[in-house]
Amino acid sequence: MLSRTASNLFWLFRYTERADFVARILDATMRLAALPTSYNEERNEWNSALASAGNVALFKQHYDTVNEDTVRDFLAFSPHNPSSIRNCLASARINARAVRTALTAEMWETINDAWLELKNSRGNDMDRDAFSDFLEFTKTVSLHFDGSAYRTMLRNDAYYFTRLGVSIERADNTARILDVKYHVLLPESERVGGSLDYFQWTTILREVQAHTAYHWVYREAVKPWHVADLLILNRQMPRSLACCYESLVRHLDLIADIYGRRGPSQRLAATTSAQLASSRIEEVFGHGLHEWVGKFIVENNQLGAEIAEQYLI
Amino acid sequence: MRVRIEHETHYEYDSPIRALIQILRMTPRSYAGQHVRRWRIEPNIDGHLRQTEDALGNIVHHFSAESGARSLSLQVSGEVETTDTGGVVKGGVTRAPDVYFLRETALTAPDEALRVFAREASDFKPDDVLGSMHRLNNRINAEVTFDTAPTQVVTTANEAFAMRSGVCQDLTHIFVACARHLGVPARYVSGYFVRIDGVVDQDAGHAWAEAQVPGLGWVGFDPANGISTTDAHVRVAVGLDYLGAAPIRGSRWGGGGETMAVKLTVEDAGGSIQSQQQNQG
Repeated sequence: MLSRTASNLFWLFRYTERADFVARILDATMRLAALPTSYNEERNEWNSALASAGNVALFKQHYDTVNEDTVRDFLAFSPHNPSSIRNCLASARINARAVRTALTAEMWETINDAWLELKNSRGNDMDRDAFSDFLEFTKTVSLHFDGSAYRTMLRNDAYYFTRLGVSIERADNTARILDVKYHVLLPESERVGGSLDYFQWTTILREVQAHTAYHWVYREAVKPWHVADLLILNRQMPRSLACCYESLVRHLDLIADIYGRRGPSQRLAATTSAQLASSRIEEVFGHGLHEWVGKFIVENNQLGAEIAEQYLI
Repeated sequence: MRVRIEHETHYEYDSPIRALIQILRMTPRSYAGQHVRRWRIEPNIDGHLRQTEDALGNIVHHFSAESGARSLSLQVSGEVETTDTGGVVKGGVTRAPDVYFLRETALTAPDEALRVFAREASDFKPDDVLGSMHRLNNRINAEVTFDTAPTQVVTTANEAFAMRSGVCQDLTHIFVACARHLGVPARYVSGYFVRIDGVVDQDAGHAWAEAQVPGLGWVGFDPANGISTTDAHVRVAVGLDYLGAAPIRGSRWGGGGETMAVKLTVEDAGGSIQSQQQNQG
């Protein structure tokens, strides 16, 4: 396969995954913002949504204040933000068109229809209901697209590269949420009866679509260290770092088998995955959650660079 | 190195067994120096096979069966990708503090002769633990003859040292006993080894030791080969001594006497193919 094709497939899936992630952040933040002010005097949820989803510096170049309108506009529609939902889906569609023949008809129709629909959308003059529908639409596109790939693609190197894109983007997204919200997960920040914390923790769970999963796994009230455990080490949880790395290792191994060659990306992914598999959440807190996550994000980016170096350019 | 392992343990019982339980430490864990590509444990009779972890972080399977079987075959197979880390174990599990591995066990408690040997062979210098351990490793390799005849799984470090002979298990016990006597935390490692010397009909699996070296962490020493561990070693389990890392321990109800046969092939899947007939030793 041409490295160009591999690169298009990889980024196509990174972008659709990212669009889904941004939509979930906005959705969870709107829920949090809808709480009565007495729960939260600081009202910084839009700041934290912005930080979770990415580029604060870029935001400041284009907007003066951080509020619901500006953050919604920046994260969902802004042409200046490369990770806005609109730009993610547009980039995904450009990548998809470049490798149209490597995709199945179902996949192409999903992404192309989404793009056509988006062209006609009204942008940020939507009211809350319409915006909610828009987020729902974005999530459906990602689900539909990834589902089509899972159900219809040949299991060859093309499919394996799409899995790499999904997994590395997911790991990055989960780690970013942990990076921005680590302080609400630290044990010492627990305030007795702090209802705000409860809402913060459930918001984190909603952002990674783990609200129901949490109760299945831990069968008790939401506790910060369980939330961290679920997002970092739980192999059953599809967005946990451990699960993303299992998938990365598996698909990098399959790619290595096809091409008959192993390289730095296989080694790096296997090492990180082995660390995740043998760590315990107490050890992660022992190292300092913030430092640990910071290091992980650097390593994950490093893996992205190694994959690009080895296969995509 | 890509190491392919096929390890079959076959039991024949005099009469049908009624029940049995086994604890298997036969599954390697991935760490910076090795990546487990695939691994399977396949018993040939029906039963419960559950995976857990022991206190030191080894992957343990409990196999229990109630059955009228007259024989049992445990087929373990897998592929492990290894890299040469110069013997240094990076990114391994740490569940117990280092000082735990100073603890003497019945198999590794040194007598006077072994203590004298430890001090003399290693020429111990507290500021050069690495050098001391290498000297100890080389001396054990030079003085203790590799011989499968005189020792058994219950042979202690002292007995093996007195005979100046033993299998890799005994050499490792001697190393561990000496290192702990010198105040260096040391542990027993069981695993697989790709023979580079071309010996195929070797009557033993492999075992070696790891010592805690300041500044480096755990470093593997293989006294049976007189080297530090390389990419030819596949680490499976660690323990204070053989009993803590043994591949199979178990008991059964009924069945009378038993005979056990082990068939093991460890080969470099990327290169030349060698096979070994091994018992754990």
